[in-house]
Amino acid sequence: MSTLLEVSGVSVSFDGFRAINNLTFQIGNAELRAVIGPNGAGKTTFMDIVTGKTRPDSGHISWGEKNLSLIGMSEARIAQAGIGRKFQKPTVFEDQTVQENLLMALRKDRGPLAVLFFRPSAADLERVAELAGEIGLTDSLLRVSGELSHGQKQWLEIGMLLAQEPRLLLVDEPAAGMTPAEREKTTAILVEAAKTRAVVVVEHDMEFVRRLNCKVTVLHEGAVLAEGSLDHVTKNQEVIDVYLGR
Amino acid sequence: MNRSFIARNPSVLVFLALLALFTLVVSVLSEGFGIGLVSTSFVKTLGKTLCLCLIAVAMDLIWGYAGILSLGHFAFFGLGGYMIGMWLMYERTRQIVVSSLSEGVLPPTPEEIETGIAGQIFGVVGSADFPLIWAFADSLVIQLALVVLVPGILALVFGWLAFRSRVTGVYLSILTQAMTLGLSLYLFQNASGLRGNNGLSGLQNLPGVSAPQSVVSMWFFWASALALALGYLLVAWVVSGKFGSVIRGIRDNEARVRFLGYSVESYKLAVFTLTACLSGIAGALYYPQAGIINPAEVAPIASIYLAVWVAIGGRGRLYGAVIGAAFVSLVSSWFTGGQAPDINLGFYTIQWVDWWLILLGLSFVLVTLFAPSGMGGLVDLLMRGKKRGGNT
Repeated sequence: MSTLLEVSGVSVSFDGFRAINNLTFQIGNAELRAVIGPNGAGKTTFMDIVTGKTRPDSGHISWGEKNLSLIGMSEARIAQAGIGRKFQKPTVFEDQTVQENLLMALRKDRGPLAVLFFRPSAADLERVAELAGEIGLTDSLLRVSGELSHGQKQWLEIGMLLAQEPRLLLVDEPAAGMTPAEREKTTAILVEAAKTRAVVVVEHDMEFVRRLNCKVTVLHEGAVLAEGSLDHVTKNQEVIDVYLGR
Repeated sequence: MNRSFIARNPSVLVFLALLALFTLVVSVLSEGFGIGLVSTSFVKTLGKTLCLCLIAVAMDLIWGYAGILSLGHFAFFGLGGYMIGMWLMYERTRQIVVSSLSEGVLPPTPEEIETGIAGQIFGVVGSADFPLIWAFADSLVIQLALVVLVPGILALVFGWLAFRSRVTGVYLSILTQAMTLGLSLYLFQNASGLRGNNGLSGLQNLPGVSAPQSVVSMWFFWASALALALGYLLVAWVVSGKFGSVIRGIRDNEARVRFLGYSVESYKLAVFTLTACLSGIAGALYYPQAGIINPAEVAPIASIYLAVWVAIGGRGRLYGAVIGAAFVSLVSSWFTGGQAPDINLGFYTIQWVDWWLILLGLSFVLVTLFAPSGMGGLVDLLMRGKKRGGNT
């Protein structure tokens, strides 16, 4: 399996606090990975660095077959290169309809002029309807997304990510605030998505991670503490000490 | 612009129909072309109001839709006015100079004419030479192009610097305010080449046109109505599709739009520049009706009024901006023009010339606190009531 994203020796400090400390991380094409760790372990900062929001002090990030360096690229260009991100809090555009949200995310030319003259074709609307089916929002296409339930907003955001057709999906706590039934559906969507692309899920909830049934990376104080199957890492004494033992 | 655009936006059609009706009624009642019930000066007031509505539509695009509170759009409006004013003043002065010189024995040389014009225009600021920026003042075509280009290029450069550094929110507002203040202070200088605080005057006279003001005023009124109609249509079209989605997204959550892969800065720059060009056109139509432009017009307060109009009219809906600009500016000129009757309280007389600003400020605060969707929100309320009535 070839490597899609390779993060090596990355460090970043905020006002002297080392949020990420010599972090090394790899993920291949079509892989599902869970990242766990206590609060302040650097999970969100890790995502900020990969998506270009935060610039690391040192280290390398290489992307894709051409080993493109992501450091110094703008958020928009990184997103266009194929990295999609879902935030912890569902962030959809609340005063726009589900359809408008999905159309905006659809993989198309992002330039202002192209967007100005863009009018959705029948194929685009079909693709949007298909995505809405996948995330269970077929009946809500023309509803304003602010009216959706919390869980539905989470799905809409996942749908928007899928519409972007990214090669790597970074998902921050997708199951937060969901009912058990909604969690199950979210698991199914993520597992399905990981068949054709890399998916990194940051999660607190061990039960949810167990259901994902994938390789787990444990972060602690900005570095990787352990990596392997969930059973493997939960038996690791260091992991028990810093995280599970509490 | 296809059928579905109008079909999806019935309010555009309603607006255009009302504007056409208004234009027709004013034409029929005018002194120039109708029965003379509406005075020429009032036609000019209405024509100017239409121009203010056009800049309000531009302001709504940048503030209501893209979420950028620019407090400098009157700078672009003023620049548009100055650009057309330069040609109007140059050409009219040239005709006067030529006719007075032709009374001499020898026909005047081009140099004599040039010196004559320069002396006439710049005598008040103690100069007799044309500044460099008047190089194209003899060409109507070039000055018309500059009406769009000068505000457009200023907005492009200013916007590029500001947006690239990711200046947002109130800091950007302050920056735009500083821009308009800087421009105003510059124009106040006699050395600015635009006659300092005298400004450009006599703009109501079209060179080479002998028609009376009652007729000319109607020409400008029609041109203003047409510009508003086209500007409204353009902006409505811009916000109707995915571009509208993206800029509303930028207003609500800029970072999210960035992570979707859109270059937020390019969109802001595009909207800032487009609205600056629209403002320039509005200004170029306004000042020939006002007759005079001076640097006070570009003062920061004008741009703040613009924001107040749009807020009172209702942000994020174009008709709201039009209602706000028309209503507030007309009421404002009624109060400050001394026509409003003073209220005698016995111990104190409320003079509206002084108290109008307080009333305006108070209504701005009240609208912001209690009716964020402004007067345009009333339209929504009516429509919703009607729809609900139809369903049950």
